[in-house]
Amino acid sequence: MADRVVLTIGTRKGVFVADAAKPRRSFALRGPFGSGVPVYSTLIDTRGTPRLYASSCNPFFGMKVLRSKDMGKSFQETRSAPAFPKGDGRALANIWSLEAGGGKKELWCGVEPASLFRSRDGGDSWEMVPGISNHEHARKWQPGAGGLCMHTIIRDGHRVHLGISTGGHYLSEDGGETFRASNQGVGAGFAPDPYPEFGQCVHKIARHNDAPGRLYMQNHGGWADWTGPGGPRPDIGVLRSDDYGRTWRSIAKGLPSDFGFPILVHPHDADTVYVVPLDPATRSCPGGAPAVWRSENSGDSWSRLARGLPKKETYFTILRDAMDIDRLAAPALYFGTTTGQLWMGREGGEQWECLFDALPPIHNVKVAVV
Amino acid sequence: MGPAPTITLHVPGALRTYCAGAAELSISARTVRAALEDLERSQIALYRSICDETGALRRHLNVFVNSDNVRDLDGIDTTLTTGDVVTILPAVSGG
Repeated sequence: MADRVVLTIGTRKGVFVADAAKPRRSFALRGPFGSGVPVYSTLIDTRGTPRLYASSCNPFFGMKVLRSKDMGKSFQETRSAPAFPKGDGRALANIWSLEAGGGKKELWCGVEPASLFRSRDGGDSWEMVPGISNHEHARKWQPGAGGLCMHTIIRDGHRVHLGISTGGHYLSEDGGETFRASNQGVGAGFAPDPYPEFGQCVHKIARHNDAPGRLYMQNHGGWADWTGPGGPRPDIGVLRSDDYGRTWRSIAKGLPSDFGFPILVHPHDADTVYVVPLDPATRSCPGGAPAVWRSENSGDSWSRLARGLPKKETYFTILRDAMDIDRLAAPALYFGTTTGQLWMGREGGEQWECLFDALPPIHNVKVAVV
Repeated sequence: MGPAPTITLHVPGALRTYCAGAAELSISARTVRAALEDLERSQIALYRSICDETGALRRHLNVFVNSDNVRDLDGIDTTLTTGDVVTILPAVSGG
């Protein structure tokens, strides 16, 4: 019976694990694990005996994948990390996403430069997925400020959605054998053509299992004042698709900014979605007052959730994978900041409290009840 | 051409886990490149921590032949002679 709330916290100086009993009154922190090097992705794999995974992005010795079989009391390197085939010409620069695949041991991994890898043995060996990694567009994608990263992997039977910055949204309907760019309605502010076939700077994509055709996207917004070729592009930052990602439309109206990084769906309500609007210049919340914004009608209107968060003089960023939500009956949201704070928002974000105040800068937060 | 010279490769502590804890490896190689190719064949996990998939030395590592950085010699084509010590060290960093 699941009885612990477990958090993995990927930071600039390794991965931490925190856990608490279901009331979430007090979290115990362990770590850092992983040699103090940056961790951009973690996975709490709840298939069978739970496993924790973390990418370890060692600037000296290259990429490693860490695995814990004891719920984060210790981590060991898997036997190998993803690596491009000899002669490919590309070299792994970062690991941005780890997701559970089919069966009990399959893992999927999105990397920089944007490519997809799959492991069939729990991370001990990896093979590149050529359908996207060698896609005819792959050598034309450009890195964003964070690098050319594949950060989102969403599996839905034979459908696979990928988010690439900057590449856009790619969709497979044959289990990952082939992919096509699927960005109709997804805008780009940094190219003369406001709606290119591909090359958008998608920041994150989210979806609810009960509504697989509906997807939410946080795209790179903040282009309302653009005066160059193609004209202004207001509200291209927060989008929704109701047809499995084939077409997208803006749901940004009512938000203080359409720029941001994470986007989440409520675990029990596919119509409830969360974003963190940021000022596009400072990448901090408008007015120095952090807030999560929630829509309970699939993005038609939005409300601000900030009770318990600082009211002023706060300029952290919440990165694309630094927010998650647990699956308890009254779920709590969690976000980590670039200033090393980990916040929890009880009752779906209604009331916030700071769990840890002085961790290293946080890249990634995942939660599961195990 | 005679047999390749035998050199000593000094392994930094952080990488010894990839070569059964050895602090030093004895390798026969005429150049640094040949020494790395030997590692690729015999110690793939150690090699992958020193060179990326393209065969390039990792950016934040320095390789010394005795006391000279290969960057100031002939790079990984620097020639080796018997008794040379090749040392791999992470670059200095902070933050």
